[in-house]
Parts: sequence; C-alpha cells; structure tokens
Amino acid sequence: MKSFAKKSTTEVANRAPLRPDGRLRVVTEDVQAEEKHLRHVIEHAGHLLPAQGPITVFIHHNTLHAFEDLPFFEAVEKGAQVFGCEPYLSEERYREELGRGRVRVADVEAVLCEDLGPRASEPILRLCTRLDLRLAMLQYPLRYGPTEELLWFVAETDALRRVRRDVSSTTRGRFVAETRRWVMRDLRGGNESGRNGHGTAKSGNERVEADLAGLLERFGHAHIEDWNDRTWEAFALQSLWRVCCTGIKSAPECTASLPAPIRHADLLRQLTGQQTDLPVHDLLISFCAAYLDQGVADWPLPNREQGFYRAFVSLHRQPLGPPNGCLGELSGELARLEDSQIGPLGSIRESLCLLGVPEEELQSFVSATLLALPGWAGMVHQIELRGDRVRHPIPSDSLIEFLAIRLILDRLAVASAARSSLGFRGSLSTLRDELRRLIDAAPAVSVEQRAFQVFQLAQVFGWTAETLSRLRPDDWTALLREIEGFSAIERRRFFHLAYERRFVTRSLDAVALHAPTCPPPDEIPRFQAVFCLDDREESMRRHLEEVAPDVETFGIAGFYGVAIYYRGAADAHFVPLCPIVIRPQHWITEHVVDGLTETHQRRARARRALGTASHRLHVGSRTFALGALVTATVGVLATAPLVARILFPRLTARIRNLFGRLVQAPPVTELHLERSDHVAAGPQNGHVGYSLVEMTEIGERQLRDIGLTQRFARLVFLIGHGSLSLNNPHKSAYDCGACGGAPGAPNGRALARILNDPRIRERLAQRGLNIPGTTVFIGGFHNTCDDSIALFETDRVPDSHRSELEAAQKDLEEALNRNAHERCRRFMSAPLTMSFAAARQHVQARAEDLAQTRPELGHATNAICFVGRRERTRQLFFDRRIFLTSYDPTHDDAQGAILTRLLQAAVPVCSGISLEYYFSHVDSPGFGCGTKLSHNVTALLGVMDGAASDLRTGLPWQMVEIHEPVRLLFVLETTPEVILGIMERHAVIGSVLRNGWALLAVLDPYSQAIQVYRDGRFTCYEPEAEELPQAASSVDWYRGCRDHLDFAEIGRRHVRGPASSR
Amino acid sequence: MLDHTMTIAILGVGALGAPVLLLCVHGVSSLLERPLGETATGKACQAVNVTGLLASLGVLSLMLLDGTRHESIAIGEWVSIPHYHFSVKLIFDRLSVPMAILSFVLCGTVGAFATRYMHRERGYNRFFVLYALFVVGMVLTSLAGTIETLFAGWELVGLSSALLVAFFQERPAPARNGLRVWVVYRVSDAALLLAAVVLHHLSGEGDFDQLMGAGPWPDGEAAVSGLPALIVGLLLLVAAAGKSALVPFSGWLPRAMEGPTPSSAVFYGALSVHLGAYLLLRVSAILDTSPWLAAAVVVLGVATAFYAYLVGSVQTDIKSALSFASLVQVGLIVAEIGIGFRYLALIHLLGHACLRTLQFIRAPTLLHDYHQLENAIGHHLPRSGGPLGLAPGPLRTWLYRFALERGYLDSLLAEYVVLPFVRLFIWCDAMERRWTDLLTGRAPQPVKQPTAMMEDVA
Repeated sequence: MKSFAKKSTTEVANRAPLRPDGRLRVVTEDVQAEEKHLRHVIEHAGHLLPAQGPITVFIHHNTLHAFEDLPFFEAVEKGAQVFGCEPYLSEERYREELGRGRVRVADVEAVLCEDLGPRASEPILRLCTRLDLRLAMLQYPLRYGPTEELLWFVAETDALRRVRRDVSSTTRGRFVAETRRWVMRDLRGGNESGRNGHGTAKSGNERVEADLAGLLERFGHAHIEDWNDRTWEAFALQSLWRVCCTGIKSAPECTASLPAPIRHADLLRQLTGQQTDLPVHDLLISFCAAYLDQGVADWPLPNREQGFYRAFVSLHRQPLGPPNGCLGELSGELARLEDSQIGPLGSIRESLCLLGVPEEELQSFVSATLLALPGWAGMVHQIELRGDRVRHPIPSDSLIEFLAIRLILDRLAVASAARSSLGFRGSLSTLRDELRRLIDAAPAVSVEQRAFQVFQLAQVFGWTAETLSRLRPDDWTALLREIEGFSAIERRRFFHLAYERRFVTRSLDAVALHAPTCPPPDEIPRFQAVFCLDDREESMRRHLEEVAPDVETFGIAGFYGVAIYYRGAADAHFVPLCPIVIRPQHWITEHVVDGLTETHQRRARARRALGTASHRLHVGSRTFALGALVTATVGVLATAPLVARILFPRLTARIRNLFGRLVQAPPVTELHLERSDHVAAGPQNGHVGYSLVEMTEIGERQLRDIGLTQRFARLVFLIGHGSLSLNNPHKSAYDCGACGGAPGAPNGRALARILNDPRIRERLAQRGLNIPGTTVFIGGFHNTCDDSIALFETDRVPDSHRSELEAAQKDLEEALNRNAHERCRRFMSAPLTMSFAAARQHVQARAEDLAQTRPELGHATNAICFVGRRERTRQLFFDRRIFLTSYDPTHDDAQGAILTRLLQAAVPVCSGISLEYYFSHVDSPGFGCGTKLSHNVTALLGVMDGAASDLRTGLPWQMVEIHEPVRLLFVLETTPEVILGIMERHAVIGSVLRNGWALLAVLDPYSQAIQVYRDGRFTCYEPEAEELPQAASSVDWYRGCRDHLDFAEIGRRHVRGPASSR
Repeated sequence: MLDHTMTIAILGVGALGAPVLLLCVHGVSSLLERPLGETATGKACQAVNVTGLLASLGVLSLMLLDGTRHESIAIGEWVSIPHYHFSVKLIFDRLSVPMAILSFVLCGTVGAFATRYMHRERGYNRFFVLYALFVVGMVLTSLAGTIETLFAGWELVGLSSALLVAFFQERPAPARNGLRVWVVYRVSDAALLLAAVVLHHLSGEGDFDQLMGAGPWPDGEAAVSGLPALIVGLLLLVAAAGKSALVPFSGWLPRAMEGPTPSSAVFYGALSVHLGAYLLLRVSAILDTSPWLAAAVVVLGVATAFYAYLVGSVQTDIKSALSFASLVQVGLIVAEIGIGFRYLALIHLLGHACLRTLQFIRAPTLLHDYHQLENAIGHHLPRSGGPLGLAPGPLRTWLYRFALERGYLDSLLAEYVVLPFVRLFIWCDAMERRWTDLLTGRAPQPVKQPTAMMEDVA
C-alpha cells in the first residue's frame, strides 16, 4: 500500500507554496477518496471523546461508551490504556476493604478458583500451589518501584534485618530456624561430608555458597554459636536476598518495555521536558470557549457562523499580534493557508504529511491528537451533533476543523521547540525518528526489581535461602513467569471481582431469603403512591410503608410515559422531559386558570421588569459607568445579602421566597393537555397537547406496566422528582434521569389528569381496565434535595376525598421527615443523633446553602436494579442502593412484552448512572472532573479548573465520594428464557448484559429460586447466609452508622407476629 | 480608669491580635501535627473575626464619639538609632478603620463560607493556616502606621495569596500559576521596599504621620517634595500596580482563579486586588506634591479600566469575567485617587469589594441565574456586544483578538522583559563557566538553552 505521507507529499509539493496564484487546483478523485477516508478516521476517533453534552442537561452515560461492544474487563483495561486512566481501584484500596471485612479472603479465593479451574491446585516447583501464590500476592502488599528506590529501601530500612511484619510468627520462626539449621549443617566451614568426598548435592550451588561464605564472615563467623535470634533473622534475610539476586541473574532478562508515545509533542516532552502543548492549549482553550460560548461573554466571536477553521484563521492571521513564543509563525502560516484556499481537510492532510505520519498510524495519531484536549474536543463534537440542545448551535464539521487547527498549531510549536532546544534543523517529518533515537529505550525491569518480588514472597511463604538456592535457572524462569504472569492489573481485576462477589452475595441472599409479603387479595389499600424507579425513592417508599403499612407503592420510569416538550406558566422555553433516547413528539404548556389571568399578566410584567433590571445590573456591574455607579452607591449594601445568605441560609431562603411569591405565577394553574384529534402535534397554539386516543394509550400502558390493573385505592399519587440546590453547576445530574436530566414535575401531573378524565376511563374500561369512579389520581413532585413533596391540582379533589387526602399528606410528610433522617446519616456534617424534624431542617438548609458542595448525595449508593413486584422487596432495607421498577410477571405474555418495555428504559438509564459513578470514582481526576472546589463555569456548557483548563467532564469527587464502584446488578422477576429472548431481540439490552457492563440474575416468579447469568448461561444460586438480620424499623437498623449497611428485614416480626418470623 | 487613648490602644491591639492569635493556634497545631478539627477551625475562625470586627467597630465608635480623627499606637521599635528608626506602629483614621472593618467583614463571611465549602478536603487545615496568614496580613496592612509595618503585612498577603493559588498542588497548572503570581508580587514588593528605603534615606523614618504631615488623612501634607517625591511616588505606583493587577501586570489576575472559590473570591476578587489602591490612598499626600505623578496615576488607572473592560467583554468563563470586571473598577478607583477624590475612592473601594465578593461567591450559580433571568424576561438574553462590537470589521476582529488573548500582556512581558533577563543570566552563567573552565583547565560544557527555561513563563 502506498504510504499516506508519500502521497500527500507530492500533492503538497504542487500545492500552496509553489502556487502563489492560489487558484483552486482540480480536485481529483484520488483526493476525494482520501478526504472521505480522513473524515471516516476522524469520525471514528470522535467516538473516543467524552459524550457529555451541556452541563445544564446532565445525562448519565457510560464513560467508556466507545468500548461498549467489548466485554467489560477487556474494555476497561483497554479504555484505561487509551485515556491514561485507572480501570479499577488501587490495590491498597482493595486491601483496605479486605482489612475491614468488606471483601473476605473466601471471596478472593472463590474468584481465583473460578478463573483457574483445575490449574489452581497445580504445584509451582513444589514450593506452593498456584492458588496459594496468587492468593498471597493479593493478600500481602508487595512493594514495587524504581530500582533506585528499592535499593534505598533495602539499604536504609530494616528490610534486610526484620521479616515483614505481616508474616505470622510461626512462619517467621520456621524460616529462621531452617536457615540456622542449614548454615550450621552445610555452610559452616570444616564440612565433614565434603572432606569425605560424598557430599550433598551442591554442585550448582558453589557460587551461592561462596557468596554466602563472605556474608558469614561479615556476621562474625567465629561467634556463630553466640548469635542471638535477631542476628539469625538478619542473616536469614540477607542470605535470602543474595540468593534471590543470584538466581534472577541466571534467568533470561525481562524484555517488556512501555510503548513510546505517538505524538511529537509527547516525545519531545519526554526527551527535553519542554511542553509544547502549553502554548497550544492556551490558544485553543480560549478560542474553543469563545467559539462554543452560549452567552457568558457579552461580545460574541466574529465570523463564528463560518465555522471553527475560518473563524480561527481570520482571527489569528491578522498582523500586529503578540510575539507568541514558539507560535511566532502562526499568522504567516494561516495567511498562506487562507490565500491558497486550503480548506480544513486539505490542511489536515498537509499537516499529517509534514509531520510524517504514515497511513498505518493515521487512526491512532488522529485519536491521540484529539485526546490531548478531550473535554473541549468532545464538547465541540457534541454541540455539532446535537445543535437542538443549545441556544447557539455551531456549523457541522467543527470537529474536523478543530483537528485541522490543532495540527497546524502542533506542528508549528513542535518545529520551533525542536529547533530551539535540540538545534534540530532537519525536516519535521523525520523529527519523530530522531526523537525516538535520542530517547533511550525504556529500561526493562531490573534484576533488583524482580528479585525483590521473590524476596518478599519468600518471606510470606517462609521459603529459605536454602530452598531457593536449589532452584535451577529453568526453575527461576518458571517461578518468575508465575509471579510476573499475575500482573498488577490482573491482581486488581481479581480484587474487583471479589469485591463485587461479596456485594452480589449479600444482595441475592437478601432477595432469596425474604419471603414475599402478599397483601390479602380482597383488601383495598388506603392509598397508592407511584414514584420514579430512582434509587433515592427506595427509602422514601420504605418509610412511607413503615408509616402507613396499609398503603402500596410502585416504581416506574419517572417520565410516566409522557414524553413531552414542556413550558411552564413562568417559563421562557420548552424543555424536553423524557429519556435522552426519545425525541418528544408532543408539546404541553401550563397556563393560569381563567380567573387569575389578569394577576398572572401583571406578575409576568413585574417579573420581566425585575428580570431585565437584574440582567442589566448583572451585565452593568461589569462595565465602567454603571459598574462604578452601582458599586460606589449600593455596593456596601451587598454585605447584607452576603452575610445573611452565608450565615443563615435557611432563613434567608424563606424571606426570599416570601418576596418571590409576590411576583411568582399564581399557584392555581392547569396543563394544556388536550388537542383535537385531527390536528398534528406541534408547539404552536392549537397544536399543543395529546389527542384523546394518544392519552388513552399512555394511560393504559402505564397502568399495565406497573401491574396496577385492579384493587385501585381511592387515592393514587403519581410523583415525579427533581432536585433544587444552589451554587451547584452539576445540579442537573441530580434531576430525574428518565426526564433527561430535568425536574419531572409535569409528567406525573399530566398522567394524573389523563387518568382522571372520565372519557379516558370509559375507553380504558372498553379495553378491560376498570378504574372505579371513586379513584382519584393526584400528580406530585418530590424535591429530593430538601425532601419536600408538592401535590398538584388538589383543588380538584372532590370533597368526599378531602379527609383521606389530608391523612395521606400527613403520612407523606412523616415519611419525608424519616427519609431526610436516613439521608442525614450519610452527611458527615449532620449529627447522628438528630430528630426526624431536625433532619428535615438540615436538608432544607443544605439546599439553600451557597457553601454546600454536597447538597445531596444523589445516586452515590446505586448498585442494584430490581424489576418485579413490590411484595418481593417490601420490608427489606436496601439502604437506598436499589432502583425499584414495578412489574408483575403474572400479567405479562410469554415473550415478556411489558418487561421489554420496562427494560428499554431501565437498562440504559440505570446502567448509565451506575457506570458513570463507577468511572468517576475509580479515577476521579481522569474519568471524573476532580474536586468541585476550583470549578469555574465556562461558556454555560461545562466547568473548567481555574481560568484555562480542559473542559472537565464526568462527575466531581464530592458527588461520588461514598460510591462503591461495583457494576449494577439487575435482578429481574422472570425466567431465563424470557430475558434471553429479550436480550436476543434488543441490541442495547443484549450488549449491556452480555458484555457484563451490568450483572444479571433472575428471580423465579413463583418461588424463591434465583439464577445468575454468567458467560451466556444461567446457573442456580445458593444463598450463603441462613437468615437475614431483623430490625423493628429502618431507623433501628441504620441508627448510629454512616457506612454502607447490610441488607435487613424491617418490621417483619412486628407485622406478622412472632409465630411467623423466621 | 481607662482614658480614651488607652481604650483605643487596647481595642486596636485586640483587632490585630485576634488574627495573630488565630495564626499562632493554626500554625502551632499544624507544626505539632495535631491540626484542629473542622468544627474547631470553624469556631476559631468565627470567634477571631467577630472579635476583630467588634474591636474595630469599638475604635470607630470611640473616635466618632470623641471626634478624634487620628490615633496612632506605637507598639515598639525594630531598629532605633539617632535620626533613624524602624518602628511598628498602628494608625487609626478615616482610611484605616473602614478598611479594617471591611477586612473583618469579608474575611469573616468568607471564612464561614469556607468552613463548609472545604468540608472533607484534604488540604482543609492548610487552607485555614493560609487563611489566617492572609487575615493577619490584611489587617496589618490596613492598620499600618509606618511603611515598614505596611510592608510586613503586604508580604504576608502576597505569600498567602501565592500559596492559595497553588492550593491544588497535585496538578501542574495551579503550581505554575501560583509561581506567576509570586513573581509579579515580588516585583511589586521590590518596588515597595525600594520606596521604603528611599523614604528612610530622605527622612530617617517611615512613619506615615510624619511623612504625610501632621494633619489627619486625607488632609496631610507630604514631608518630601520635588524629585524625591516623584521617585518615591513612582516606586509606590509600581508596587500598587503589581498588587492591584494594573496594566501591565494584569495577566496574573485570571491565573489566580486556580484556587478554591472562597480564596479567589475574597483574595483576588475583593480584597487583595484593592491593596494597591489602598496603598495609593495611604500615601495620597505624596501624589499632591507632583502633578506628573498624579497624572501618571490617572493614566494608569484609566488605561487599566479600558483594558479590563475590553478584555472582560469577551471572557467566556464566569470567574475571569468577574475578575476583569473587578479590574475595571479598581482602575477607576486608582484614577479617582489620582484626580484627588479620596473619599469617593474609599467609598467606591468599600462598595466594590462587598458587591464583588457576593458575585464571586455566587459564581457557580451562574447557570441557574441565567435560566431564571430568561424565564423572567421571556426570551433569550440579549448580547449587545458592547460599544466595541460596533467597530468596523477588521478593527473589530483585531480588537476581539486583542481582548481574547488578554491584551498580549503576558507574552509581551515574557518576550521583552523576562526573556532578556533570563538571557542575561545565562550569558553571565556562560561567562562564569568559561572563567572557571579556564582556571581548572576543563573542557567547556554545553550551556542550557533559554527556551527550555522559559517554559514556566511562556
């Protein structure tokens, strides 16, 4: 194959520099094909970039989405390599967990055995079995480091005088005693057997013995019988260390070396320490931010509409620029490109050719170049793809143009830096070879590094110098192969498996040992409440059921099947409220009821006046005249809100709300929900809303999905959720994921309206779904940050239901207090001894506190997703760690049509949340966005660290701090056949579960049997525990504890009486 | 029975002593590796700021009641020889008392903010040690009665600021930018030190009440005049320019946003960026002696304000936008001082500091605020582009680039000031090597290239 570089050289040669007239050259088919290929390469590299869109609509997704078609472990290790991040927690972290019993040695052993199979018990040189070796390498921290560090360690610490502290005293005693015996018998001079000529097998050991004789001499050979224990211990260790070093020298050298970086800038940095990326990034970051800005800067970028490339060229080709250091030639180069009409793709080809990138390296070079500034490149890509999600979209092909500019900057900077620091005068295309030549080949692992591993393991096992001195070179090779074959990354993988295994065992035990609490079939619950399937609603539902044991709760994806663009009475724009994978086809607005329109208009005018004024003030405070006027006159008054808001956040919020109420939209509003059947849906007047048929469809589907088709209570609440907090750029990540990262208040409200409509009920009845006339649906909104629930349109509830509504509201309030209390146990700044009411006040203050970096802990504990009837999990304490989706398998068909629908929402949403938390936790600065404390909102799209850094994607450390990085465990109440069928038919569900991005188990609908999915098949699960812990109430179980808790049965004895308790 | 002066002295020393005590507690406990817990830190910080604030308010009310406009407390002498002395002295007048009150209010509020904001951060204790250092520096500078006392406070503020910029020391960018801030501060410190030396040379002492005449601020009359006054004034202006990020030193201000939000808010947005202006106010009597000096102050102030407005209008991140907005006002305040509006400048300074702190503290709410504003107004927020956005095409693009790259100040300084400096020293190094090689008879060694050394400044 003809090399890419060569092809372009000829082209470039008869291009720009030689054609001062700058006419467009005839574009040959060859060039077209090449550019098409290049486009394809860039598109492919674009998949690697973070897929996070604007931060105002935070969608949780798999951070490694680019590797989704690979099995989990392969993908994380490959992803870690590509992005330069960590795939798992560190070994120390896992060992800590081992130390505090979160993982047990039995778990580690189990996952090792499972992997090794029959190879586990194979002996290694008769020293130990393979399993023992691996187990020891996991259990005991083996120090590893650069040779110099190890030599220092050996010389300066007591590593050669004392046996490791973590070795048991029996092993230590045996180790010393055997060495002593060996020395006294074989090593001490004047050996009888040697003199008699029929010596022990010491042919290969002469060198060792000669070596050790010197050591004996140093220790004071003459007084050997007076040596004390400490001397013997030191001698045993030193002889061991010498034997290890000698032995390793006899084995073949280790040749593994790190791959050299592919970009010129990285090579140059490795060689000279000069970072050419710094000036390049300075320029690119400010330009990217200006290009993407959605309204922070008052003055937009000129020529933005012409695309990244042209805007950059026209901006930076101007004369009278700064000296610019190593980018001094930039304006001349840009002028040349523009004058000879070289476009972005042409420029990329030219740059690649100048940099000497051959065809076979093209993909990895382009990827590495884009990944040098992943946040900004990713955002350019996202905004280009989803222009519908931002106010100021950008032209397509922006990523290509970004790459073009990046390559121009790179090559100018690298050329100039190589010239000045290396005196390199050759062609840029040969620079990489030159640099690679200059950089010494990455050093292989040294003898000391390898010897120290064996030395440490020998102490753990009690292998003495004698044992090891008998090893032949082949044996050493074999031993090293075993030890080095179980690399650090593999050790972490097995730790991770053990870590997950413990968790899965605990979870499945809880489900398997918990007998369902079936309500009596003829008893109608006092009221029913439907919540989002969110893990944060688990505790809310549990507490509600504890407060009012005669109610039922359900879980469903929080957009309630109402996929809409919504505009509230006081909102400026429509916002989408549905999972990100759906593009809504319907529009719904809220308006104020007739009697209050005048008030509404008056207040809207007041709001507009206030809004305009405060916007002017906001912008004006940054200008001369107005700024001077404002700061000089009323500036000092700003102290009042400043001090009040910081010292008394909750009180200030109340006062603000009081005043805010004067200009808010009147509280009595209704949704514009219905449009006539023969009009198409749209955002304009007359097109807003659903047709009757569509509403019937939605109502039926939602009720059947959660299995609520009979036994309707007189009151049914449909409660959406969101989270409101201040000073939190990541606020949207706490909103309802099923509503696309927005507060899902209108969805439950809309569904309630639909189901209350008598015409729809009539139609539902025709379809066999009879809702009694006495049942009233009420929409609501749960603010998960300050734990409040607002109910909508309660004025429409008939008087006959009033007292029941009031009782239900009281129960909800009590449940909210308790829920706040349970949440508070996780906040270090909330005392553990608070009352329920105090806890509620605490969370309210958190929501309003400008200084609070953890307004709530959101999904930080998510770990399981259960799809099945509530009876199977009711009265189980799941510690806010479980997504609960209601599903009645007995009402589903043989193919699992309902289950499929549920999983289509639950699998991407829940596994997305779980994986986002996983990666942001295991490598916070790499996959996540580090600490929140230095974040700086940029371009209204994302955050940077400080004033000029890459755009930080992922979740901040404060959000994921308490997360346990395990994969999400799906427990479905169904049969293996049904779920396998669904996985077969639905690619997304199939690939997530088959590739192990989430774990899967099924719970038999008619028994307690559980089967676990692994490697394509289901196996029966045997519970490890015999019974679950019991507690009278949730608070009795979690009281006084801040950590993750075991799962327990709550209120069992109390409810069913002592006779039925297990 | 305590007399009036004595009470003021006790209160005044209390105002300075409180933060010094805080620094001692934090410093000693950190040295003993027994740092205070989060709650204790918060309480200590609160107690100290409330004490300091009450003491300053006490001084204020006593002075108002009594009608005195000028009190000074001599704490002691560092060096004292005939006709020459370095003394530690606090001064209470219409300038220092409001400034001290402002420091306590803002530091106290931001301290309360930080006790919660920094919760569970690894560098929690380090932050509060530096915070205590900063408060001491700030109060000492405000109350300083001699130029050497002021210099001590000035140094503490500089040191703590630079270390706070580099607070996240595990990442390279904060360390780099902290160094940058440190270098600019050093230049400004050197100028201040030189000014102090010249003043001492001229009059044997650095006491403001002697130098600036007997009249209470701002009515003093300078004891120096003519060329010496101009030289001292210019040196002080350079010192003020470095500290207040006036042109051409403005480049460090956005770089200082690397630290945690509370430190960037109070330190660079609100308090320490005003210190330059405060210094000019303190020595305003010298400005009166030379119209050229006053003109230089006005020009520098107006230039900074224009520069910052231009640059600020294209900033796309909220912290940079706010810091340049600060700079506009600081420029105006400096200009006001140059013109002679002392009280206006002081009021402007106080008001600006308070308002800007509130804005900085609320900076992460930007997204929420924009959303609210849009809902209230009912459509997308207008982007006027400002008056400069109306300039003709090529000029507009040129101005835009000038603004986007922050007026090229950093690269100009690097190219025309730092690089020649580095080159000079490399040349000296080479000469010395040659000389030593000649003496020892060794073969010449290769010399390091300047560009590799320029990495941190470029």
